[in-house]
Amino acid sequence: MRSASKAPDGTTGTSGTTFDRVLLGGKVLLLLAGLALVLAFPGLAPDAFILSVGVTIASYAALAVGWNFVGGFTGYISLGHAAYSGLGGYATALLIIDGGLNPWLALGVGALGVAVVAVPIGVASLRVRGASFVIVSIAMVLILLLVSQSWADVTGGSSGLRVPRPFSDDVLRPEQHERFFYLHVALVAVALLVWWAIDRSRFGIGLKAIREDEDKAQSLGVPTFKYKLVVFVISAFFTALAGGMYALWFGYLDPIFQFSILIGSYMVLMSLLGGIRSLFGPVVGAVIVGYSLEYFKNQYGDSQFHLVALGLMLGLVVLFMPDGVLPAIGQLVNRFRPTATSIREESAADLLARTTKTEPRQAEEVSR
Amino acid sequence: MSGSLLLQSLILGILLGGLYALLAAGLTLYFGVMRVVMIAHSAFLILAAYLAWYFNRETGIDPLLSLLVTVPLFFVAGVAMQRLLLSRLRPATLTMMSVLLTFAIALTIEGLLGYVFTGTQRRIQLDYSGSSFEVAGANIAVVKLIAFGLAALSLLGLYLLMKKTRFGQALRATIQHPEAARLLGISTDRIAGYGFGIGLATAAVGGTALALDSTIYPSLHWHWIGPLMAIIVIGGLGSIPGAAIAAMLLGVTQSLLQVPMGTTWAQTVFYIALFATLMVRPQGFFGGRLAQRF
Amino acid sequence: MIGPRNVRQLTISSAACIALLAPLGACGLDSGNGEGGDDEIVIGISLPLTGDFSEPGKGVERGYKAWAKYVNENGGLLGKDVRLEILDDQSSADRVASDYEKLISQEKVDLVFGPFSTRLVVPAAQVAKDYGYLFVEPAGAAEEVFTQGFDHLFYAAPAVADDHYNLLADKILAMPADQRPKTVAYASMDDPFAMGTAYGLKDKLEAAGVKTVVDEVYPPNTTDFSSIAAQIADSKADMVVGGSQYQDAVNLIVALQQLDYQPKLAAFSTAPTNPEFPKAIGDKTEGILSPTGYTPEATYQQNQEFVEYYTELNGTAPTEDEANAWTTGEVVAAAVEAADCADPSPECQQELIDYLREATVDTVVGPLSWDAEGRPESAHMIQQYVDGKIRIVLPEDQAEADFIPVKPAW
Repeated sequence: MRSASKAPDGTTGTSGTTFDRVLLGGKVLLLLAGLALVLAFPGLAPDAFILSVGVTIASYAALAVGWNFVGGFTGYISLGHAAYSGLGGYATALLIIDGGLNPWLALGVGALGVAVVAVPIGVASLRVRGASFVIVSIAMVLILLLVSQSWADVTGGSSGLRVPRPFSDDVLRPEQHERFFYLHVALVAVALLVWWAIDRSRFGIGLKAIREDEDKAQSLGVPTFKYKLVVFVISAFFTALAGGMYALWFGYLDPIFQFSILIGSYMVLMSLLGGIRSLFGPVVGAVIVGYSLEYFKNQYGDSQFHLVALGLMLGLVVLFMPDGVLPAIGQLVNRFRPTATSIREESAADLLARTTKTEPRQAEEVSR
Repeated sequence: MSGSLLLQSLILGILLGGLYALLAAGLTLYFGVMRVVMIAHSAFLILAAYLAWYFNRETGIDPLLSLLVTVPLFFVAGVAMQRLLLSRLRPATLTMMSVLLTFAIALTIEGLLGYVFTGTQRRIQLDYSGSSFEVAGANIAVVKLIAFGLAALSLLGLYLLMKKTRFGQALRATIQHPEAARLLGISTDRIAGYGFGIGLATAAVGGTALALDSTIYPSLHWHWIGPLMAIIVIGGLGSIPGAAIAAMLLGVTQSLLQVPMGTTWAQTVFYIALFATLMVRPQGFFGGRLAQRF
Repeated sequence: MIGPRNVRQLTISSAACIALLAPLGACGLDSGNGEGGDDEIVIGISLPLTGDFSEPGKGVERGYKAWAKYVNENGGLLGKDVRLEILDDQSSADRVASDYEKLISQEKVDLVFGPFSTRLVVPAAQVAKDYGYLFVEPAGAAEEVFTQGFDHLFYAAPAVADDHYNLLADKILAMPADQRPKTVAYASMDDPFAMGTAYGLKDKLEAAGVKTVVDEVYPPNTTDFSSIAAQIADSKADMVVGGSQYQDAVNLIVALQQLDYQPKLAAFSTAPTNPEFPKAIGDKTEGILSPTGYTPEATYQQNQEFVEYYTELNGTAPTEDEANAWTTGEVVAAAVEAADCADPSPECQQELIDYLREATVDTVVGPLSWDAEGRPESAHMIQQYVDGKIRIVLPEDQAEADFIPVKPAW
């Protein structure tokens, strides 16, 4: 992705060719259409089941965007983010049940609590490079599964925990789905906004430097450990919010499904498939994966085939499309760019201007 | 805790630790030759256990004999996996992407096992599964001793291979310094492939040993991967003796802690030790320069 | 301002949304079966056909299918054919809720039957409650199911988990003091049902002064029982009680055999009733106890018909899972006949619920009635392996063999 090559003042968007302008217009139009479609979705859904699938996908999107704070910016792949979504769910539920808090307050306080818990975990796992980080992330899920199952007095143990509903019983189930759909979409929007803001900040540039070459970033004076830790905590916070929101909607927590490596791997697959370096990558990935999961379930529901399908999908993405769908499409669009023809109709000055602009990207490709 | 229970737990811990040590050695080998964290190791372990169970069910012959098939099969599969899949990944993101790729392989194996053999828990039925003999007031189950013996023999074989053969020298050179090894004319790619094959062969041995005395089901590998991962970090990534020592220590500790704490809480010992290690000595207790960078 | 790359991402995601949303309702996610016509009653069920609970889940499925076939061969329900719409929930709580959501809101089934296992019953029952459906379930015996404020739920079996060992507890406490076990070791799977059975017995024995010397809970997927077995063997308890499903009991017993531990009494839930059990533990079954809610030998008229029909259909006699599924069918059918309706309307479903609240229904496991939370009010029988076969030993008026007070060595 080219995002790293953007000038700090963010002025690279103003390239002047007609093609770019048409592209920009088309994109804005598509964006608005997509937004309208998402907002209209509850009205379009033919029944409550489709609506509930929509909520699930929105929840996946929230989880994936939360994951992508650490995955996208630093390139550290966490397979255990279910730890934070599960903790968020349990924290929210317990604050409501035992703490008597208002559900929405509980959601926020719970997610903040998870962010605090994430600090020591981050300190332990980010001091060393990738391999240990992944191992710790998996270990976190397994340890939390053990604790949530064993500490039955607090968590309800393996019997699970019912979460009180934030809306009264007069709100019928389809209506609940609709409200939670919008709530999840709002959460996704806020998370995307924060991601976007970080992406454009000095902080974001430092993080991306870590992603591309941690040693160089360090020698250039980026406080790598501090940066990684901060973004890790932000990621845990948003993932916990998504987990808590899901708990409020679903109304039931079972340790096996809260602290499941599968959920963590969904987050990775969704982000990777969409493209971890792009803002909307995780959302696109969530829609594709969420829909595919429902589809596999519907088609091959009575076998373990869905696991095979998930495994193959992940394997193919890793092997052939490690940058995700969005960058792949982006490259495809770029092929139609008039300048991509073999005969150059540019002055040397144009060329020079263009080269200086694209150079960092090439450097980046090499450094990968 | 009475003396006899202590002794009994100690013996059980050592028997379990042996199996952990063998499996952790395999994981360490992958990491050493390729800098790859092989999440699918325990999935292959369960696959081997299923093959042993299936072999026994279909033929009625002792499951130990299935090793004659599974060990070469897994060796070849390991070489193929390294040459065809892992070597395709970009070197710069190899560690992260290999985690995902092997994770995907693990899921696929789990799914296929569930597809073919269903999720039902299976156990090999042997006439000697309940037999044991008494040593100083403690009972040692025959099946557990066989499993331990297999693990110990394989570890010894691995040790001799690494220390006494030319191939072992090349393998160690590849682990310690791949660039230098290449300059010396060692074909590190080929060596890495063989290293991978040997690692996977340990999973075949481990799986058969496991199947002798345990129930198996497709998702069992998650149960193993956590402790094994913790062991290799504590031992120091890339250090086979470190992994073996950590495995033995943690196996015994877990077994002893089960008495006062119960099985569930005792399992957390692996993760607590993992966090403690990363806080105090992130490169692990026996790891060298290699471990510091990963 | 927004960079071009970001906008491209926006647009592509929107395009993906449109492409994916369009077929969402039309293809892919709907079942294609449509609603039932007026001439049939569609019953929606989600069962764990894959995953952790797939074995009992398939047993329940066989029971449901046999029941539907039987009903259709005997004139149907309210004169209409019964059709089952069975989905697989993969033993997952998330799935089971979305399955019932789908059955009720998309396929608009007329009735629902419950899934298997306490873990799945609670989330499923919540969905049914939200839509006002009657929820009769074959396998959610743990106390947690009945304390959630579900007023539409009925458990179609003789007794809840905590009461499974009641007859055994009475029997032990009635023994002369010198024969009665003085120490008991408990080991239970961390599962609401399994723990319910073991702890139900523990509470009663402790109240009567029988000492607990080991009390272990292990996670559902435990495969290594050697440490637990070592503690039980070391305690030399007179009696061992296992709150178990199937494989965990087998593993624990083998581990106990490996340590040469010989208790006077050994009781395990569920596992000993499995036909595979004797072979799995090396045919050393003599004297092992187990509670059961069902026996094919029961003399109720419904049961004799059921066993005959089922055996003819499947070649083997039904077990408890099949019987509980059949019982669920019988209970719902009784309500439907009494209320003379079977449709999704809240009025009809409420009538069904109100009827069962007061009724006593004759089933293959005997007459059933329920308290306000849906707990059934009968008792489980106790079986024991006598002369190599599992037989009813308690209650004494239904006993097929005499109770063995001191178990032979295993």
